Amino acid sequence: MFNTKTIRGREQRTAWILIVPALLMLLFVFGYPILRAFWLSLFTQNLGTRLQPVFSGFDNYSRMAGDGRFWQSFWVTIIFTVSSVVLELILGLAIALILNQKFFGRGLVRTSAIIPWALPTALIGLAWAWIFNDQFGIVNDILLRLGIINTGINWLGDPTLAMFAVIFADVWKTTPFISILLLAGLQSISPDLYEAHSIDGATPWQNFRQITLPLLLPQILIAMLFRFAQAFGVFDLIQVMTGGGPGGATEVVSLYIYSTVMRYLDFGYGAALVVVTFLLLILAVAIASLLLNKLRARTSGTT
Amino acid sequence: MLYRKPLNKLQRFLRRQGFLRVGVFSAFFLGIVLYSWIALSQQPVTLNLLMTAPDAQPWQQGIVRDFEAKNPDIRINIIEGPNATNLLEDLYTSAFILGDSPYDLINMDVIWTPKFAAAGWLMDLTDRISAEELKAFSDADVEGSRYEGRLYRIPMRSDVGMLYYRTDLLEQAGLQPPETFTDLIQASQTLQQKDLINWGYVWQGRQYEGLVAMFIEVLEGFGGFWVNPENLEVGLDRPETLQAIAFLKDTIQQGISPPGVTTYQEEETRRFFQSGQAAFLRNWPYVWPLAQEEGSPIEGRIAIKPMVATPGRTGGACLGGWGLGISTSTRHPEEAWRAIQYFTSEEAQKNFILNAGFVPSRRSLFTDPEIVAKYPHYPQLLEVVQQAVLRPPIAQYAQTSDILQRYLSAALTNRMTPEQAMQAAANETRRLLNRG
Repeated sequence: MFNTKTIRGREQRTAWILIVPALLMLLFVFGYPILRAFWLSLFTQNLGTRLQPVFSGFDNYSRMAGDGRFWQSFWVTIIFTVSSVVLELILGLAIALILNQKFFGRGLVRTSAIIPWALPTALIGLAWAWIFNDQFGIVNDILLRLGIINTGINWLGDPTLAMFAVIFADVWKTTPFISILLLAGLQSISPDLYEAHSIDGATPWQNFRQITLPLLLPQILIAMLFRFAQAFGVFDLIQVMTGGGPGGATEVVSLYIYSTVMRYLDFGYGAALVVVTFLLLILAVAIASLLLNKLRARTSGTT
Repeated sequence: MLYRKPLNKLQRFLRRQGFLRVGVFSAFFLGIVLYSWIALSQQPVTLNLLMTAPDAQPWQQGIVRDFEAKNPDIRINIIEGPNATNLLEDLYTSAFILGDSPYDLINMDVIWTPKFAAAGWLMDLTDRISAEELKAFSDADVEGSRYEGRLYRIPMRSDVGMLYYRTDLLEQAGLQPPETFTDLIQASQTLQQKDLINWGYVWQGRQYEGLVAMFIEVLEGFGGFWVNPENLEVGLDRPETLQAIAFLKDTIQQGISPPGVTTYQEEETRRFFQSGQAAFLRNWPYVWPLAQEEGSPIEGRIAIKPMVATPGRTGGACLGGWGLGISTSTRHPEEAWRAIQYFTSEEAQKNFILNAGFVPSRRSLFTDPEIVAKYPHYPQLLEVVQQAVLRPPIAQYAQTSDILQRYLSAALTNRMTPEQAMQAAANETRRLLNRG
């Protein structure tokens, strides 16, 4: 298999031997569950079959095509993911830029900025559900006192407002994650560049556009990738805040899969939902990492 | 070897001592084993029963105490669960999926029975109770406890949807209680025109389980059906279904029902009716004691009747209600059965109703003098119970119901035309049920 006569061949063999345990581990931890889910998705196993698996080919997939609820939850997920990631990115960048300045008590502010991200999501969800409560919520209380509204708004009871509320809570919770990541990126940019640029007569905005943004792009993309994957699979926050309601307006794909498996005991169909969602996610991540590599190559000047 | 002899003596003494000790010890040990064996067999068996927290209170103070006094060998351990019944269902489901459920007695909503039975989590009770004994229970309650011809649950309390109406208003306008859908609309319009009331009829229109509970009553009144449990035929795209939707949309379009009705659940409609804003209300039995409370604006001015229907048909009453089953994983099925027998007995139900006030599953109790003295509307309630209709007793009910809820809500809020919505609902339901 390897040409053991050359040093390169021998090294390659050693490399493979060293890599095999890690590959086996990955196969066991990632490969097996994915293949198992795909295998299960070819069966009908639900209450109709008394929980016995019956082979049904691609029936589950054709059923998914006509399943209005799946497509609705898919769009809800896309809306949630895109709006929360974009908002988090803008706010996170702003916070990172502020935390990068020198001011009194910076250490304290930097530490306390991560607190929302460090708290358990389920607790945060519960807190936000109360904050947005129509009778006792603090949001309504503030708006009423300011005289902006006359009667309490039922935030979590209206489809659009409920979506707004869960996105708001998610942004609050995960912006610190992005800002810390971007802060690390900002600190790796050499101050010399700004100095030189300023001597050339650049304005702060030009500094930001021509130095900060391009050099920060790899970190921005990594943060986006992480957050995209996380937001796409969001479960706990929405489950606690709205449970997917009202009327499925905030039901994301993971909540639908949870209902299909845990409430309906429709294991085969649930597996098909998992497989399709997984493939779509892989596709999105692949596109993102392709962009990432291209940008990295450009910023490091190798092309 | 002078010391040999005393040493031997000592050895012998020790050996004797040893035998003695071993003997005493083993006798003692055996005694403990025997004693604890006897004691354990005398120890009461504990049966775990899960229910919502507000339900637990009357149980503990009432029938559980009575039962334990009569059966000192059984203890009932009531586990207080969340208030929302769908969370209770999730708790049961996750416990059963993991295998060994901690619950011996299963306190079940009527719509869970087929699911739990199909999943194999419930003991078959068919041979434990005779047909004679079952006849004492209301028919629909028993029907709702069966899955594929076998009995899995003994009904304990009923719940039915019905029409509440304001007797004072109808009298003032010289109207009879409505019998048909047209009557209901006309009576509402007359009352509104005479400025006796702001709104005619309130019902539950929010997208949730209560929507389909309300809808099957209207559907029954038009002679339609949702899913036939025998052959899994789906009737959602038939003309009767569209007529039923047209009636509900009419109530909003003609200003009989407030537009917000499509976001109401039971409590919103109850408050609306109780504050004197509407002449008719579709709701469950729990409204009666609240509406008749001292200080209620409509105290003494209401009556109940079964839901209206098209001429010549009888209206339907959606059956809810709870019953008890035995989990397949219990180690004490005999004790669990004794507990069920007591809890569903006439005596226990009567005491429980007199104390806690719910709707019985045994027909004779509706006309029991003591109960009627306390709750004078029970004979009328029996009339409603006898027209009870079941939501389809199929294993995949939860999924089927969620499909209808989505599309019905879309049709009622004008996001889809009724034809489109019901066609899509029927197709999705068929695809779901034909598989497997």
